[in-house]
Amino acid sequence: MTDTSSTTDAVTINQVSKKFRLYQERNQTLKSTIMRGRYAVHKDFWALRDVSFSIPIGSTFGLIGRNGSGKSTLLRCIAKIYSPNSGTIKSKGRVAALLEVGTGFHQELSGRENIFLNGSILGMSSKEIKRRLDEIIEFSGVENFIDQPVKNYSSGMFVRLGFAIAINVDPDILLVDEVLAVGDAEFQEKCERKFVEFKKSGKTVILVSHAMQTVGAMCDQVALLESGTLKQVGDSKAVIRTYLESRPKDAN
Amino acid sequence: MKYAKEVFQSRELLAYLTLKEIKGRYKRTFLGQLWSLLNPLAAMLIYTFVFGFILKLTPKPGDPSGLDIFALWLLCGLIPWVFLATTISQGMQSLVLNANLIQKVYFSRIVLPLSAAGAAGFTWLFEMFVLIIALSIFGAFVLPWIPYLVFVMLLLALFAIGLSLMLAVANVVFRDTEHFVGILLQIWMYLTPIIYPNEVVEAASNGLGGILGTNLTVLGFYQWNPMVHFVNVFRALMYDNRWPDPNELLICAIWALAIFIVGVLVFRRNESKLAEML
Repeated sequence: MTDTSSTTDAVTINQVSKKFRLYQERNQTLKSTIMRGRYAVHKDFWALRDVSFSIPIGSTFGLIGRNGSGKSTLLRCIAKIYSPNSGTIKSKGRVAALLEVGTGFHQELSGRENIFLNGSILGMSSKEIKRRLDEIIEFSGVENFIDQPVKNYSSGMFVRLGFAIAINVDPDILLVDEVLAVGDAEFQEKCERKFVEFKKSGKTVILVSHAMQTVGAMCDQVALLESGTLKQVGDSKAVIRTYLESRPKDAN
Repeated sequence: MKYAKEVFQSRELLAYLTLKEIKGRYKRTFLGQLWSLLNPLAAMLIYTFVFGFILKLTPKPGDPSGLDIFALWLLCGLIPWVFLATTISQGMQSLVLNANLIQKVYFSRIVLPLSAAGAAGFTWLFEMFVLIIALSIFGAFVLPWIPYLVFVMLLLALFAIGLSLMLAVANVVFRDTEHFVGILLQIWMYLTPIIYPNEVVEAASNGLGGILGTNLTVLGFYQWNPMVHFVNVFRALMYDNRWPDPNELLICAIWALAIFIVGVLVFRRNESKLAEML
């Protein structure tokens, strides 16, 4: 594998390591810190260790692995939510992360006001939001309730509006973490169409999922992580096969 | 400089978050934004009754404005103080309250405490506007001092933002911070000449002389509190309508810039770790 970033890569991950502290004891109050004479006792846990690979522009890229293998951590590092302890991540263009939809909605504000608020949190300028407003409202399918406070929304409407905003951010790189399973069948179909459209216009999608069927159907390339290290990266079919074979066969 | 550019690029986000704070706070209340005026008015009535009427504290009449109204004199110090206290307490909690957002989306984190300051600043402007009208009705000539007043307000805002940035980070590490600071703010208010005139402290200090036979006086310590000088400057401009003591203004400016710079540095150092620390 090469470390050098080429012009055709959307994201270049170079020897990234991320350490977390597993707290055996954590004194977040002053009293307990003084009483125990220490702030915290922790063990280091390496969620990612020396991971390097690159993701080509225009690809749909899957990150797979068992629970706790570090895929979500890696996604958050790419999204700049976490900063790696060592190594670098270079990404080209605007990155938007769909880690959870509807974060930052204000319950008392209307759907329309929340589109502006949430859109700007996700990095859109107000000009862009205005331009896409109709599209977002149409995509979410909550036209009739758009001037109602979002606390009156059903959970489905809430999620759909959040998703509609996020997908209309129009990033160069979209990070998706297991949020595809929202909404009814019709809405899911809409989302899938949007992803295809996304891909056609040469944008990069990075997807974290446990649903191998979705990954197999959508991704060109897949990286398999195992306890924080990169096990295999390459053509999706081959990597998914490795993953399925490596699964502990506790059913037998 | 790069950081300043990044924050500048987030100005629209800052505007929306500030708007959210302002709109969200009084949603579903009958009086709406009027509540922000009722709080200082209630405080004014209480303090005027207790300190002006019962305890008979008599601040010197405004010189040269000639004003001699305890309530107005009080408000000239109280309203800037309330802005400081609100900015600190709201800004301090802003990171913890938005933990979910910080862990899910990347954006310039500093906009969270800044938007708290923005919302407090909006209320403050509204209150100052009303206060200036009231002062003018009772005979003060505040208008020519307004550009100067705006400058001092900016200094106080920098001071308040600097403190809230530091405390916001501290509150992520120790959740005690917000409760602790709540008490400190009360003590701080009584250590500032808001409800009593500065001269009372001077008189008491002179009566006592040097502490334990040294040259150190109570007044000397008292004046280490930067808010003493801020309040004096605000009163000079609004209540007395005269130039404030240039030394006091200089002290305010130094405190404001120093605290602001330290606050930004502390925040920057910890910004990238916030998602994990929360």
